[in-house]
Amino acid sequence: MSGPIALHWAPQAASPPPPPPVVPSWSPVELIESIGVPHGFAEYVVWPAVQLALILFVVLTAVAYLTYLERKVAAFIQARLGPMRVGPVGLLQPLADGLKLLSKEDLVPAGADRFVYLAAPVLAVTAALGLLVLVPFGAAWGTVTDINIGLLFLLAVASIGVLGIVLAGWASNSKYALLGAMRSSAQLVSYEVALGLALVGPLLFARTLSMQEIVESQRFTGLWWVAVQPLAFVVYFIGSLAETNRAPFDLPESESELVAGFHVEYSGFRWSLFFMAEYANIIITSAIAATVFLGGWSMPGLETAVSWIAGTDATTPLYSTAFTLLSIGVFAGKVLVLVYVVMWVRWTLPRYRYDQLMDLGWRWLIPVSLANILISAFAFLVAMRPDQGGLLGLVEVTKNGLWMGWAGTAYFLLVNLATFAMAAWLLAKLNKTAWSTDLHALRRVEALRRAGRLATAEEARAE
Amino acid sequence: MASDTPSAAAHVFEQTEMLLNMGPQHPSTHGVLRVLLKLDGETVVDLDCDIGYLHRGVEKICEHDTYPMITPYFDRLDYVAAVNGDLVYVEAVERLMGVELPRRAEYLRVILAELQRIASHLLWLATHALDIGAATIFLYAFREREEILKIFENFTGARLTAHAFRIGGLQWDANPEFVRDVLAFLDILPGRIDEYETILSENRIWLARTVGIGVLTAADAIDTGLTGPVLRGSGVAYDVRRAAPYSVYPEFDFEIPTGDTGDTYDRYLVRMQELRQSVRIVRQAIEGLPEGSVMAARVPRVIKPPAGEVFHTNESPKGEIGVYLVSDGTNTPYRLRVRPPCFVNLQALKQLAVGHLVADVVALIGTIDIVLGEVDR
Amino acid sequence: MSERRSIGSVLSRLLLVDLFKGLAVTLRYNARALVEARDGADPTQAIYTAQYPKERPLVGERWRGAPKLNNDPRTGESLCIACNICALVCPVDVISVGQANREVRDGEKRKKKKVLTTFEFDTSRCMFCGLCQEQCPTLCLELTQEFELAVESRAGLVWDREMLEKGIHVVTYKK
Repeated sequence: MSGPIALHWAPQAASPPPPPPVVPSWSPVELIESIGVPHGFAEYVVWPAVQLALILFVVLTAVAYLTYLERKVAAFIQARLGPMRVGPVGLLQPLADGLKLLSKEDLVPAGADRFVYLAAPVLAVTAALGLLVLVPFGAAWGTVTDINIGLLFLLAVASIGVLGIVLAGWASNSKYALLGAMRSSAQLVSYEVALGLALVGPLLFARTLSMQEIVESQRFTGLWWVAVQPLAFVVYFIGSLAETNRAPFDLPESESELVAGFHVEYSGFRWSLFFMAEYANIIITSAIAATVFLGGWSMPGLETAVSWIAGTDATTPLYSTAFTLLSIGVFAGKVLVLVYVVMWVRWTLPRYRYDQLMDLGWRWLIPVSLANILISAFAFLVAMRPDQGGLLGLVEVTKNGLWMGWAGTAYFLLVNLATFAMAAWLLAKLNKTAWSTDLHALRRVEALRRAGRLATAEEARAE
Repeated sequence: MASDTPSAAAHVFEQTEMLLNMGPQHPSTHGVLRVLLKLDGETVVDLDCDIGYLHRGVEKICEHDTYPMITPYFDRLDYVAAVNGDLVYVEAVERLMGVELPRRAEYLRVILAELQRIASHLLWLATHALDIGAATIFLYAFREREEILKIFENFTGARLTAHAFRIGGLQWDANPEFVRDVLAFLDILPGRIDEYETILSENRIWLARTVGIGVLTAADAIDTGLTGPVLRGSGVAYDVRRAAPYSVYPEFDFEIPTGDTGDTYDRYLVRMQELRQSVRIVRQAIEGLPEGSVMAARVPRVIKPPAGEVFHTNESPKGEIGVYLVSDGTNTPYRLRVRPPCFVNLQALKQLAVGHLVADVVALIGTIDIVLGEVDR
Repeated sequence: MSERRSIGSVLSRLLLVDLFKGLAVTLRYNARALVEARDGADPTQAIYTAQYPKERPLVGERWRGAPKLNNDPRTGESLCIACNICALVCPVDVISVGQANREVRDGEKRKKKKVLTTFEFDTSRCMFCGLCQEQCPTLCLELTQEFELAVESRAGLVWDREMLEKGIHVVTYKK
């Protein structure tokens, strides 16, 4: 298998892959069983129900407080104070908003498709909240369930949310809502492609679709996949902004053009369902980014911190609890940082136009992520150990995950940067009009192009 | 579908244009403008502006009011540039009466008018950026504008509709803190303009949304009768302050920025430069502020200009604002007509917008910088 | 169409430098907002907001706010001589002055004098141009610094002589 090329240096040989990292073995299911609940019932009904209730409570509160955070971040960026009147520093503002929205009239516009109109927000919010089942909030029992097609399932269910938006816009019997829905269906469909393709890159390294195992794989390698797939991370982040209708891609609800876009006719609680869905989606996309690119709940030093608290015996309940809670904290911290970046971007950048958004998606993000997959896969193949079918022997595939040293990391980082440069160069050749660094030239060209288009439109009218 | 028998497929694929009613209640029509858009997909095929929702008949009202009573109405034409409105009216009456103003009054008028120009441009920047989605610029610009409004409040007694000038001068001399406040503001503003430009001028999204949008050639702009930054953005260096100087503008050193392609980005750049030029003018005026009275000595208590007519124009932040005044020798004008820059500039919207997308219409309404109080009068 | 490209410009374009410049400005504001003191309405500070009902603004000395009829501080009688100039000069006709000829004592003599009976000021239509206070010959009518004129009914916007002399009761919220 080694081939004719004499590349039999093996830097990994001196340091064999370490054993898999510790995972606490105790779970609260044992606690439930100890009070007399039968095993299957405890593991598949009682404990998941408790978890779901907890997660729903925490996430819905988090969603409410994300609105508060958003307003505070916006205010601080904009030299304001934000909510200050309800409760200390406005902390009860989400509660007041919720009460207000609940007590408002639920309007259905004349001529609306009543059933669809009423069902659309429910669909949107259900799709968003249903995803929570699979998000690996923490280690061990910090997650509800873990299925072997986890990431695929997440992406699939997330795209149902689009239906809610499209149906809402269609059923409202309003032109603004219709335009918003059309924009959003086009936008979400095209950005989902880029999003999914961007996730393939890190999956090459994780070698699994299960969310927990993706985290474990990064823990085993001792590396977050953002280090070897920065390009995919950027593409994913941009795509997720578009996917969650956030500025600079908030076209479906662009306030200054379409007033409120697809939810222009909604009021009261149904409106707030859309709002909840939007924020829940932000949490979910940030959670996926944190899981796939940023190591999920894992963190260097997490095990050390746990052993300070609970000793080193991984089978004790105390160890398990400390480990799970700390890992949930780490995960929440990562998600929060990403959510802050999303908000920060929103309050700084202007909004793209519809056609420019499509340009960006189809002519830049999708080709870049495709190129990234191709080159990463090829580079991966080259880097594998000769006896496993590769050449360089920088990466070793073990049954617990990938093992690579600093040389492997540097190799993949370089490959990724090279991909970046090559893709950018190629795309710049292909997308001539959309890509120019000389501002003055760009302005002249654009002006001429527009003028030409203007003339043809006038001619078209004259005919 | 050229076939004689209409099939079901022909009906399904029949292209229809959508009529979209934008306004009068719409966040981006800057007041109560109603724009009827004929859309093909999202592309604007045709456009019609429906104005008049704010019509108050100011010109007719003025025929019943005495000359001093008319000034507050000029505050309310272009209500975000009230001082400039006042200025053109009182100067028109003064020209009719042949009143010579003390130099201090002229200087104070220029300072207030240029501050108002800054305030108006800041408001334009705020709303224009908000239309394109940059919400934060909105509040930054409003913060700086607020400082100007405070200066106005302390000087004239009102923030927005200042009623700053009287026929023959000013009601009051500057308040004691005036010079200090203005200088403090001038120290802050240039840095803040830099900040706006850092966020916007090179931003690729801002460029994508403004470069090449609504291109207007110089010839078209002149033919349509446009004035102000919209005209200068197309490369015509026409500014009433230079072309037909009024007040003490010839004594100040300032430039007239112009664009070259006449797109939305050029108009943005022109206005940003005008902000800096206005800062220059105010600084010169403050430094050279003479002492003396602020009211002309020979202004009668009851103002009755001699019979005759006058057409006087000024450079308002929106363009060339003109007042045509016919006096029959009584204490009320026989006829008063305003040449509103916003009304004329708005007529270019159709030329600018056809062929662009809905999102651009919003940006184009912003770039023309209209105030419906002046469009509808 | 000649385009000049340098490696620097290409790189800055690829690395989104233009966007990060703007993001740096807003991040700086955000960081400053968290640490800096706030006095309210100070343009040099990171947070400009003044929390209005709690922190009351200092209104300009020349502010044209709620109208007021001044009394002579020595005698307590109205300074108004019912000359009607304010009503005449008002562009929007919000003032109506009621007057009557009364016999008044001036020392030993009895003479007829025009006195003020009623005074109505419609603040709903007033545009606060200040022409009335400018023209008042006795400095009786004045636009004060009071700026909170909201009431709960339209009728409450028409101020009679008593309200004008005493001023309306403004509830000052502290919270």
